[in-house]
Parts: sequence; structure tokens; C-alpha cells
Amino acid sequence: MSPPMNFDLLNIRFPKTLDEAVAFQADERTRGRLLAGGTDLMVQWAAGAPPPQRLISIWGLPELSAIRVSKEMVEIGAGVTHAFLRDCTDIRAHVPALVAAAASVGATQIQARGTLGGNAANASPAGDTAPALLVTDGMVMLASAQRFRTVPLTAFWTGYRQTAAQPDEIIAAFLLPKKGRSVERFRKIGTRKAQAISKIMAASRIRLHGGTIESAAIALGSVAATPIRLGKVEAFLAGKKLSRRLVEEAEALAQASVAPIADIRSSAEYRRWTAGRLVRDALENLQ
Amino acid sequence: MKSIERTWKLNGTATTLRFPAGRRLLDLLREDLALTGAKEGCGEGECGACTVLIDNDPAVSCLIPAGQLPDGTTLLTIEGVEKKRAGRVLQKAFMETGAVQCGFCIPGMVLAAYALLQRNPKPSTAAIRTALAGNLCRCTGYVKIIAAVKLAAARLRKTSSTPG
Repeated sequence: MSPPMNFDLLNIRFPKTLDEAVAFQADERTRGRLLAGGTDLMVQWAAGAPPPQRLISIWGLPELSAIRVSKEMVEIGAGVTHAFLRDCTDIRAHVPALVAAAASVGATQIQARGTLGGNAANASPAGDTAPALLVTDGMVMLASAQRFRTVPLTAFWTGYRQTAAQPDEIIAAFLLPKKGRSVERFRKIGTRKAQAISKIMAASRIRLHGGTIESAAIALGSVAATPIRLGKVEAFLAGKKLSRRLVEEAEALAQASVAPIADIRSSAEYRRWTAGRLVRDALENLQ
Repeated sequence: MKSIERTWKLNGTATTLRFPAGRRLLDLLREDLALTGAKEGCGEGECGACTVLIDNDPAVSCLIPAGQLPDGTTLLTIEGVEKKRAGRVLQKAFMETGAVQCGFCIPGMVLAAYALLQRNPKPSTAAIRTALAGNLCRCTGYVKIIAAVKLAAARLRKTSSTPG
């Protein structure tokens, strides 16, 4: 066994504004690993992973803490906690899958500290909020000392624990189109409801009109190296009349279009089977 | 190792502390302040034994570098909760229902329950289970703990409109 981690030795800076934080990140000599709520990183270091030389705490930065609701969009600061999302009544009607995902993270203690930006930056395929973000077709806003830029969420997770953010960039906010008349759903399958990392989860945003699927966005977590959209299933569903037969075909297509791995939490077979069942579940709950 | 200073309202008293920037809140409470009610169970945010209330929200003190709590933060530990009426009512209800066996998880349980009753004076069984889902107990099987929270909630509702 390795000696327990001595957290006293962590080298943490506490910038007070986003400007100060991006200034640290702009220079390689002051740049550090960003630390928000610590609910992923502190656990890794406690488990023996060596902590980085420098940490920049972005917890509580005022510029990352806002939620704004406009006519078409919901803008959520990257520092907003899962607890805040869970309890915020202003956004529940517009991005319900994301609110449900936030309420399913860990348990109340983790929800109080874990942030939406942290969950995205951690880039785990098992990140609970990622599928719910993906189905909105929204954007992530990245801040650096030079500029702000936006990246589509569908292009943000580029590989296992990798994102499109550059080393000098900080996730500032998420710009999410409201669901409008679509129906959203979020399901998480884990060993128990709380404090369990997901075996697989699904989010969907589907618009039905007069019995016909106008558009479908379906995303899964924990079935690939990144959270993914089921593009083939979405294309198959678009414009089709909803029927029992269609649901069965979509379920089979979902199962055929994922290639999950087996790991400590689940088997590949279970994940593949359940991917299909979750697509069925989304289609059977559109009313 | 760089040290930093923070002033918090800790268990009702303005408290200024100087500590290494990375020091965990749990270590600060237990080692520097001898507030040993918060326990280190897993050390990785799973078990809830180190739960404290930060600005009224339960959080696991093993995952928080104490420097992340800004000046003016309100911190409540089990040592502070037992000075509050709702805390004493919970304490008594836990004893009367037999909700305590080894006791290691109980400070965290009481704090999570206290936070719940502050927000929701009449919680359903489901709401209690959700509020305590981040606190693991290996002795009781939870049944009596949930009964204790229900009993405390009922007593608090009878005697005042807001627990305090």
C-alpha cells in the first residue's frame, strides 16, 4: 500500500475572478489543473493518483455561477452545481433531462459540490450529465485570456477523458436550446440509485407531431470512450410514424450500433442489450 | 507549502484559521480544531461519515480543500447541531428508536437529516431515503434511522413551525 496522500502539500491558487484564472492558464509557468468541486479529482488523489504540480481553484468564481433563461436558450454557468440545477425551477421545463441527470449524480453531498463544468471537463464516458447535454444540440463556451469561443457539444468530447478544450481554456458556460414541444427523458442504470457510477445511461429529446416523429436526439453514456449520440437511430426515426414495429426496429438498431466494453461495472452484453431497452423506453414515453 | 487564512462562521462563532492551502476540511476540523464528530470512513466521498453543512447544504469534508470555502462561509458540524433544538430533537429520536449501533455514521446521518428538515418539515419516506442516500450505515439496515427522522420531524412540527 502506498502512504496516504498528504493533501496539505497540494499547491492550490485561488483566483477571485475568471480574468485572474484565465491569466494563470495563459502562461505555462503558472498554468495548473483546474479544480472545481473536487468530487472527481480529490477522489483520484485520495486513491493514489499523483496530484498535479499546480492547481487552480475555480470553485465559486462569480462569472461561472449564473443561469440565464432567454426566449430560445438556457445558459448555465460551468460552476453551477448539480444541487442548484436539481432545485432550480426556472430551467426544469426547458431542459428536464439535464435536471434529472443532475439529480442522479452521487447523492446530496456530491450534488452540493460537483459542477456541470467539472462533470464535462472530467470527460468520463460515465459522466451523468453528458448525454443530457448532448441531446440539446447546444454549445459549450470556452474562455481563455484571448477570447471566448463556442464548440458544439457534439464535438466537445473527443476521446476517453479528452475534450476539445485547449490547455489555456476554461469551460465558462453551456448554451442550451430549450426543448420546446419535444419530450425529454433521462434514465440511469446503476447498481443502486445513489452513489453508484452508472452502468449505462440515456437521454433523449424527441418531437412527436400527429403520431409522426419529427426529430429525435438520443444519447448514451458508458457505451463508448465518450458519451455518444445514436446518429443512425435518430436518422432512422426521423419522419416515421410511431408504431410498435418502429420501436422494435429502433431497439434492434440501437443494439447493433453500439460497441460497449466490459469493465468492473458491467458486461458488454448487458450494456448492448440495455442500450436498446433504453431507446425503447424513450419511445414508449412520449406522451 | 503556502498557508492561507479564512474567517468562517463555524458552529455559530466567527472563527479565523490559518492552514496549508490544500488542507482538507476534514483534517482541519479533526486535527486543528479537535472537532472529531466528523469521521473519516472511506476518504473518497462515498460513505458520508465526514458530512458537514456548508451554507446549509450537506457536503463531504474529505473532498474539500478548506481554502475553497471563502470568508463568510457558514459551517455547521455535529458539535454545533447538538446546540440547536432541531439537532437535539433528532439526537433524542435516534436514541429512542434504536437507530444507533456502532455510531460511526451517525454524525453524518444527523446532519443530513437536519438539513432535510430545515428545507422540508414534513418529508415523505422517499424524501428521507433520498436525503440520506449519501450516508452509508453497515449496522442498522436503515429502517430505524428512517423511523428516527420521521419521529423527529413529527415532534418538531408539533412544537414549532420552523425547526431551528
